[in-house]
Amino acid sequence: MISHHLGLDYALNPGWMAPYVAGLSAGKARARRCQSCAATSFPPLRVCTCGCLEGDWTDLPGTAQVLFRTTGLDGDFGLVHFDGANTKTTLRLQAIPATETRGIIAASGDNLPVLRLTALAEERDG
Amino acid sequence: MQVRDVTVTGAALTPFNRRKDGTGFRDWALSAFEMALERSGLEHSDIDALYVASESDFFHLQLNPASVLATELGLTGVAATRCEGGGASGQVAVHTAARAIQAGAAKHVAVIGIDPSASSLSGDAVRTLYGFSFDAWTDGMTGLTSTALYALSFQAFAAEHGGTEADLASVTLQNRSNACHNPGAHLPRRDSPQDIADSPAIASPYRRLHCSPLSDGAAAIILSRTDATPRGRAGAARIAGMGAATDHMHLGARADPGFFTAKQMAMQRACAEAGATPAEIGLAELYDAYAGTQLQAIAALGLSEDVSRDLNDGVFAPAGRCAINLSGGLMGQGAPVGATGVGQTATCALLLEGRYHPALQPDTLPRYALADTHGGVCTLSAVTILERAERAA
Ligand SMILES: [Zn+2]
Repeated sequence: MISHHLGLDYALNPGWMAPYVAGLSAGKARARRCQSCAATSFPPLRVCTCGCLEGDWTDLPGTAQVLFRTTGLDGDFGLVHFDGANTKTTLRLQAIPATETRGIIAASGDNLPVLRLTALAEERDG
Repeated sequence: MQVRDVTVTGAALTPFNRRKDGTGFRDWALSAFEMALERSGLEHSDIDALYVASESDFFHLQLNPASVLATELGLTGVAATRCEGGGASGQVAVHTAARAIQAGAAKHVAVIGIDPSASSLSGDAVRTLYGFSFDAWTDGMTGLTSTALYALSFQAFAAEHGGTEADLASVTLQNRSNACHNPGAHLPRRDSPQDIADSPAIASPYRRLHCSPLSDGAAAIILSRTDATPRGRAGAARIAGMGAATDHMHLGARADPGFFTAKQMAMQRACAEAGATPAEIGLAELYDAYAGTQLQAIAALGLSEDVSRDLNDGVFAPAGRCAINLSGGLMGQGAPVGATGVGQTATCALLLEGRYHPALQPDTLPRYALADTHGGVCTLSAVTILERAERAA
């Protein structure tokens, strides 16, 4: 048996998704609204389900409803619906109690563009 | 264009497990290929083309594996193509190879599926890589694991279509129990529902025993133009219909995140090609990446109107109307990714010929068997319907 370590440093370009990735870094839910039917997708869809290729970037409030959640050794993840979006999304749940069904997007900073939901500040305080 | 009929003249699988004997994927590929070729009654020189299924170079650190295997298998000179479709890679290769024969571009072809999914990298490394087999920018970098995505998809399925913890246990126990009669299976286990409940929670509702393992191994089939089938192979099963389809790569963008729409579409296409209905499928090797995935597959393929009821009535048990995963499936037999779809098709072909492992071989053979494979959370689905030869059984 031969042991071999291979390290790979990637330089990946998000291309058309750059505004979405920049949004995650700043903690904004940057969605795409179709110019034809106004359907809003988050994460953004390049081509709208209506077939239109043209869309505009729009920032959602960033709050979301947790529809399903999974917990275990792999971490906490959910299928959630962001307010103002017509699509749902899977993401990481960060410090959202099992009894809580709402949360707000958390900034990923300069790290990998991680899409995650954290507890709402007012609900945490109140 | 005249469409040629295709017969599975040879089929073989190596054991699926975690290799500790110093062998590598080239050894397993050769072993499966030689067995399949011998069963086909053909010679190396009869093979016109080689199709290799392997999900990722990350596993074996061999780019361009199809050309390497052409040499390793003693087939230098043949046309060689590598086929990839995530977890569906093996079935995509079967389709690509069969279409080449149908189109008249080849008479006899070899399809080899391989992957060292267990022994070459740590389980954590493989799980990280698997995370990038969904949308790498949204799911992969977020750290969503395959188990978490499948768990969310199953929860959505259960909320809409039903499916209980007892159903998950039933699938788990049945598949692993079948594997106990398959000498090549990775996880021949006889667990109890309590053992399942006591195994670690990976991503609720999935516990470790609800998951398929990472395995090493290879599978091979030889496909032949039916009118060129060698003497003595008249009992070999034919490919009756194939279908493939894709769904949206984001679970959250699907109208029903729990329903495998791509699988339903692929099945409809395969049935149309075969002139068959789901009710006529009497044996099926399904893509049970997780216990709940099998329930989702049964529903999408149209094999049952009420999955929980039929499961509890024994419809999918070895003696049932549609025996599912007699091999043990991915959960029991194992999952060397590229080999999975080829192995499912090989298993169906051997079963329809009456040449499968004796303890699992049904006494009465149905007309049709189904091999069902997918990649992503059923983002890419590929299914094949095989038909028993008139003279078999
Ligand atoms: Zn639109």
